[in-house]
Amino acid sequence: MQDIIRNFSIIAHIDHGKSTLADRLMQFTGALSDREMREQFLDKMDLEREKGITIKLQPVRLNYRARNGKTYILNLIDTPGHVDFSYEVSRSLAACEGALLVVDASQGIEAQTLANVYMAMDLNLEIIGVVNKIDLPGAEPDMVKQEMENVLGIDKDEIIPISAKLGTGIEDVLEAIVAQIPAPRGDEKAPLQALVFDSYFDAYKGAISYIRLANGELRKGDMIRMMSSGKEYEVIEIGVISPYMTQVEVLQAGEVGYMAAAIKNVADTKVGDTITNANQPAAKPLSGYKEVKPVVFCGLYPLENSEFDKLRDALEKLKLNDASLLYEPESSDALGFGFRCGFLGLLHMEIIRERLEREYDLTLLATAPSVIYRIQLTDGSEVYVQNPSRWPDAQRIEHVMEPFVKASIMVPNEYVGTIMELCQEKRGTFINIEYITPHRVLISYYLPLAEILFDFFDGLKSRTKGYASLDYELHGYQPSDLIKMDILLNGEAVDALSTIAHKEKAYYRGRALVEKLRKIIPRQMYEVAIQASIGNRVIARESVKAMRKDVLAKCYGGDITRKKKLLEKQKEGKKRMKQIGRVEVPRDAFMSVMDIESDK
Amino acid sequence: MTNNNQAGIYIHVPFCVRKCSYCDFYSRPLPDKDDLERYTSKLLREIEQQAGQWANRCFSTVFFGGGTPSLLEPEQIHRILQGLRQHLSLLPQAEVSLEANPATLDASRLQALKSAGLNRISLGVQSFRDEELKILGRIHSVREARQAVEDIVASGFDNFNLDLIYAIPGQNLDDWQYNLQSAVNCQPRHISAYLLQLEPFVPLARQISAGRYAETGEDLQADMYDATVDTLIGQGFHHYEISNFAKPGSECRHNLIYWQAGEYLGLGTGAVSFRDGQRWKNRETVSGLPDESDSGMIDIEILESMNQHDRFVDAVILGLRLTQGISRQQFIERFGIDFAQEYHAILEKFRRDGLLIMEQDRLYLSRRGYFLSNQFMAELL
Repeated sequence: MQDIIRNFSIIAHIDHGKSTLADRLMQFTGALSDREMREQFLDKMDLEREKGITIKLQPVRLNYRARNGKTYILNLIDTPGHVDFSYEVSRSLAACEGALLVVDASQGIEAQTLANVYMAMDLNLEIIGVVNKIDLPGAEPDMVKQEMENVLGIDKDEIIPISAKLGTGIEDVLEAIVAQIPAPRGDEKAPLQALVFDSYFDAYKGAISYIRLANGELRKGDMIRMMSSGKEYEVIEIGVISPYMTQVEVLQAGEVGYMAAAIKNVADTKVGDTITNANQPAAKPLSGYKEVKPVVFCGLYPLENSEFDKLRDALEKLKLNDASLLYEPESSDALGFGFRCGFLGLLHMEIIRERLEREYDLTLLATAPSVIYRIQLTDGSEVYVQNPSRWPDAQRIEHVMEPFVKASIMVPNEYVGTIMELCQEKRGTFINIEYITPHRVLISYYLPLAEILFDFFDGLKSRTKGYASLDYELHGYQPSDLIKMDILLNGEAVDALSTIAHKEKAYYRGRALVEKLRKIIPRQMYEVAIQASIGNRVIARESVKAMRKDVLAKCYGGDITRKKKLLEKQKEGKKRMKQIGRVEVPRDAFMSVMDIESDK
Repeated sequence: MTNNNQAGIYIHVPFCVRKCSYCDFYSRPLPDKDDLERYTSKLLREIEQQAGQWANRCFSTVFFGGGTPSLLEPEQIHRILQGLRQHLSLLPQAEVSLEANPATLDASRLQALKSAGLNRISLGVQSFRDEELKILGRIHSVREARQAVEDIVASGFDNFNLDLIYAIPGQNLDDWQYNLQSAVNCQPRHISAYLLQLEPFVPLARQISAGRYAETGEDLQADMYDATVDTLIGQGFHHYEISNFAKPGSECRHNLIYWQAGEYLGLGTGAVSFRDGQRWKNRETVSGLPDESDSGMIDIEILESMNQHDRFVDAVILGLRLTQGISRQQFIERFGIDFAQEYHAILEKFRRDGLLIMEQDRLYLSRRGYFLSNQFMAELL
């Protein structure tokens, strides 16, 4: 059976056409009729389709009758393309024997694609090169093929030119999958070892795991054991996704499918865990993946304090589908009760916030994101701080360490100067520069994670007309000269607006911040003083003048109804504001502290 | 100032020679003579139709508004007033006003209007500076406006109002003072001075957002308002509503009905009526002439059906537009609700902020409160 199975992923940068290629593969193999076809079929979340990105993995099984007359089972495991979700890529890859590397014929290789290809090579995956979008006017497939050969050592003559949009070259891709990707070589007779590469919560069936069987077989009714926890469950349902869930009686070594076992909590089907048979357990688990830890934190508060419980329920439910989301209750003098939440990156943060608001009908206020700082105190102890308002008093601090990343930036060589300038501005330390082709370079820097989080990416894009791509990995902690900066509204410090700044940049940052807030905070019935301070020293001040006009100059019989509607709208608008002391602050003011640079 | 329980009659004439660049009212291009005559007969029929429903109401005011009601022939206005007197209880001493565009008046028309029974003219002067009139898209010039004032006075109308607009793009404080003083020099008994507030879809708003004109800033707007109040009070006018000023005793009785949450009958296409807590509107039509059902009744749209509390809120919001404010005792009698209790927290807050004044029985806006009144009114809803 295994010799007709091919398990593969698609590696591609955002917008290089991964989801479109997946659509075409499904269409070509008849998994989807033309009638069922809609764009980005595997991206089930509305958010994914709106943003044109993949967040959750969605495996699919295709039946392909090859030119040699044999019918093959191809398991495609889709992967996300954004750096925040690179750990999901590693999961997908671990369940495969091969990968399609899709590169845009007009864009060339991007930094992040490179990182993912190296990951695939480390896992000994067979890589099939594909150049997509050859139909575009600016396409230079030959140059891109050469680049792929130079950088990755893929034979340029074997790279398949396609246009996923037009459907050209799709069959060539399928044939290459069959011919080049090795069939799985598990032992069907050995004890069960199945890798959980994703799981989600279904309201009816409980936790559902996507699994790849390495050895043995799995049947409905089997007693299974999760090897990390030892917990045992009875298998209620197994099946394959083609692309709708289809039940089967047995899954065998080499196959990819799903399993439901009345597991109430997704945390009990940990991604990376190995499932084995309880009655005939395997001796050792498969090698899993390292657990991902959130690196970005922010406070999420309901705009209406009464919605706190609703927010907690919503977070609990989201957590079922997203093990990487962390949250714990916290409170703020300014904002009341909320949660400190941890995310994999800014995109992840934005997505969670949007999902909470859309799917759970909440209106939220998010504070500016923060990283985790390690602070050595004068008494010899160490504290971890991921909320600026919990920053210890300056005199208790011995020194502060902040997380750094190793960033790789791939860019056409004419932008080297401006990129280096940007990295320098962001407190970067140069590592090296590498010419991957005569025209494109890979620049590496050590950078504080906090700088990357704020507006680094925007700066990168605007300085390079969008040609730069960025990848980064965490690279430990280093001491930094950091201080806490407070923002005061009418003399009162607002804890939710506090930020951590580098000492040398604090003055500039304070100025920029109060200016920004002056623009964001609307005029109120009284003048509002906005100050930035370090310790007790005010370093910047602006004021919002008192409002002088808010009136309906005309109101007569015929338009009373309409004028009342205007007043109602105004009242609604006020509800979107947070009352802090006597000052009404728009809810996006709290996030504004992060993007002051992009307004320059 | 009068405070009675009598109702008002509003007659909408939705035709204009040309629509002004700031106008968001319902109006249609100028029809031919036949259409004006047809409109008049429709109005007369509507009066007959409404007679039954309004039989137990007494009317103390008639207001011809628009559009440009002064496009009607004096003879047509005469017939409409006759119709009103014949079918409704219109008080003999009723205030009968006509909104007029200076370009549509002359001495003989004015005399005829006077004989028809009009006793108040509201003249849409808007500005005494031609460049500003041009920005506003007015069809008249300053010279025509001055001539119209002369003719109004010569025709024996001793009660007339001048409408002015301030914060016109490009206008500075001196320009506005000049307009104000020019208006005062015409010796009207009433001046309405309106802040230019634009709906986003009107031509002038689009020109501003396209960068053709600069928008007047909030501070200058407020300075202009302050100057208006100071100047007109200094000239012996009574500041009786946010944007309205009158020589004592010459407050517009018709508009007072609106602000005192009184009832009114609206006639003509697009006109709004209010009775027994219900507010409805004669549907606007493309032609300007009413669409009628088979029974000959005008098609209406219910805007609001209010319970006692809604009516109370309405009355508070409207009543606070008047500088005399509202009476606690009167509201208790009228609605059974004590606003001092109902809105205790909000009243306290705005009193502390200096927007509201509560004095024994009366609640009214402070001088600062007029131009910030939405802050308070929005919270009452």
